[in-house]
Amino acid sequence: MGIRKYSIAIALALTCASLVGIQAKAEDVKLTLWSLDRDIQPAPNLIKEFNEQKNGIQIEYRQIQFDDVVSEAMRAFSTGKAPDIIAIDNPNHAMFASRDAFLDLTDMIEKSSVIKPENYFPGPLKSATWDEKYYGVPKATNTIALYYNKDLFKAAGLDPTKPPQTWDELVETARKLNDPSKNVYGITFSAKANEEGTFQFLPWAQMGGAGYKTINGEGAVRALTIWKQLFDEKLTSPDTLTRSQWDATATFNAGNAAMAISGPWEIDRMLTDAKFEWGTALLPVPQEGAQRSSAMGDYNWAIFSSTKHPEEAFKALEFFASKDATMYKDFGQLPARADLPVPPTGNAVKDAALATFLEQMKYAQPRGPSPEWPKISKAIQDAIQAALTGQMEPKAALDQAAEKIKSIEG
Amino acid sequence: MRRILSSVRDGRGFDIVLVGVPFAFLFALAGLPLIYNILMSFQEVDMFSLGSVIRPFVGVDNYVALFRQPETWPILTNTLIFVVGSIAGQFVIGFGLALFFWTNFPGASWLRGLFLVSWVMPGLVVGAIWNWILSGDFGVLNFFLRESGLITANIFWRSDPSFSLWAVVIANIWLGTSFNMILLSVGLSAIPGDLYEAADMDGANAWQRFWTITLPMMRSTIGAIIALGLIFTLQQFDLFAAITDGGPNNSSNVAQYWAWDLSFRQYDFGRGATISVIMTVFVMFAAAVYVRSTRHEVRG
Repeated sequence: MGIRKYSIAIALALTCASLVGIQAKAEDVKLTLWSLDRDIQPAPNLIKEFNEQKNGIQIEYRQIQFDDVVSEAMRAFSTGKAPDIIAIDNPNHAMFASRDAFLDLTDMIEKSSVIKPENYFPGPLKSATWDEKYYGVPKATNTIALYYNKDLFKAAGLDPTKPPQTWDELVETARKLNDPSKNVYGITFSAKANEEGTFQFLPWAQMGGAGYKTINGEGAVRALTIWKQLFDEKLTSPDTLTRSQWDATATFNAGNAAMAISGPWEIDRMLTDAKFEWGTALLPVPQEGAQRSSAMGDYNWAIFSSTKHPEEAFKALEFFASKDATMYKDFGQLPARADLPVPPTGNAVKDAALATFLEQMKYAQPRGPSPEWPKISKAIQDAIQAALTGQMEPKAALDQAAEKIKSIEG
Repeated sequence: MRRILSSVRDGRGFDIVLVGVPFAFLFALAGLPLIYNILMSFQEVDMFSLGSVIRPFVGVDNYVALFRQPETWPILTNTLIFVVGSIAGQFVIGFGLALFFWTNFPGASWLRGLFLVSWVMPGLVVGAIWNWILSGDFGVLNFFLRESGLITANIFWRSDPSFSLWAVVIANIWLGTSFNMILLSVGLSAIPGDLYEAADMDGANAWQRFWTITLPMMRSTIGAIIALGLIFTLQQFDLFAAITDGGPNNSSNVAQYWAWDLSFRQYDFGRGATISVIMTVFVMFAAAVYVRSTRHEVRG
């Protein structure tokens, strides 16, 4: 009985093996790609188009949940099962690039006629750069700017064509718009205890001449002091401390906040939800003529250094980049390209908002790049929250953050 | 050979097989991960060594570094408050409800069943709903408190460091009460009715009956509920993710959420494992207390 069973098993195994063998011979180069894009987002659709070309390369797609991208990628890489291509959130890019887990694409980009560094916004490109070498290509990008409610501006006697330009003007405007009797706060944003808090605060620090390495710089302290002022005077809801950007902007759309700081991902919802006239403006700066800055979000493409088909994988990236021109039209995401105008959508309000974001994009700076970004970000979040809840003075909180960041960076 | 076979069929061998199967199951699915976790807490873990078992040994460095962080003690204190507060609330309200339904008014069993709905709901859904209820500006809870004159200004449950932990405790009490109620109801119905009849004849009042019959007879049920409550509260994660994210400034952060944050947001797997080990020690201590307290139980 035993022998018969074994022989059947062996026969089965042989058949399977030969089947696989035949298949592999007849098939093209097979690449795997991981990203968090859903079916209406770029990755799966671009892959479908790419595969339809039948150019000898076939890409297999796997969707990964937002929270799992990095840990899945780490686990896969450390066990030698990494995909060929991955879409990685830009602040996590350096962690992989600095350890050579991603492939250095500098030479391939130099020879490429499709992917040219000079075509990209400097911020997104920098996030894919480590040690002056390119370890990836920006996939899409976004940034934050100021949304404001024109109707409430008019009601408060303010000129709706003149949104606040400086921090002091912003506070002053928020004071005028603030109306507790009508449940209207001057402004809303997100100071949440996760990456969103850092995402929103860092541009302020950078506009003040500080950076994550000098997070206790004078400009950053002033920025946090202004934020604290907004909280202390109740010009923003105390729940700004726990609301995500998406939830915060929902209160703007409902007319419970007169201004909001958020990104282009809000536009479509705002067009349907907001029953008032609204406009957008660049983030206010510390004083007139000061340098601008903004946050920079979204993902980069990268190729794992463990890939067996670097050339083919790069070809796929080139194909994706060639589709940047229609990215906004097809998927509502902004390409990280300075050379491509976003085509008019036919909706004047939307086009004006997109123009603001494209202008703001020029000043967007990446978070880091640092391989230790998540820990640095946590130190910054803790400082913001300690100061805004009144548990520490802004200066002391940022000093502590600077101390932590120093020890993290070694 | 034959002896072994017959022993397996009916005898000592059978007992060993019966014990061995669940033991192997437990060891593979709970024991090994536990050992792996303890091992990890003594190692330096990064993305390259994530897949291997042999990693640089760092001794108690992870523990030393952890306790040097200024937020460690506050977070452990929060965990204690969260556990004690949640269990106390769940138990007291759950017991009250169980006694209430025990009076067996018409429709009592129906209502009791309906209460379980809260227990069946996924934590993230409960969290999202409580997130709205506890919202400072337009939350329902603030509305009721204001209308009833208990407060004059809105309480920012999620964002005020002195309330944020309690916001999650409140949500967790709501989530766990019905489970407590059901288990306690089962315990109550197991108490023989003649005990009460006898006490009645001896002239014991309701209060005396409760203290001298109900509570002592419920001892093992209560012990089990509190032990289970400890486990359920220590693994409560969804509510933190949905309501406060551990903020503001870690004022509502607890060990289990922090362990996740360290491992999967800051990718410091070694330190995340270290917190898990500390939590395990506490749970083992609580389990030992539970086992001791029910050891003298008369079974049958």
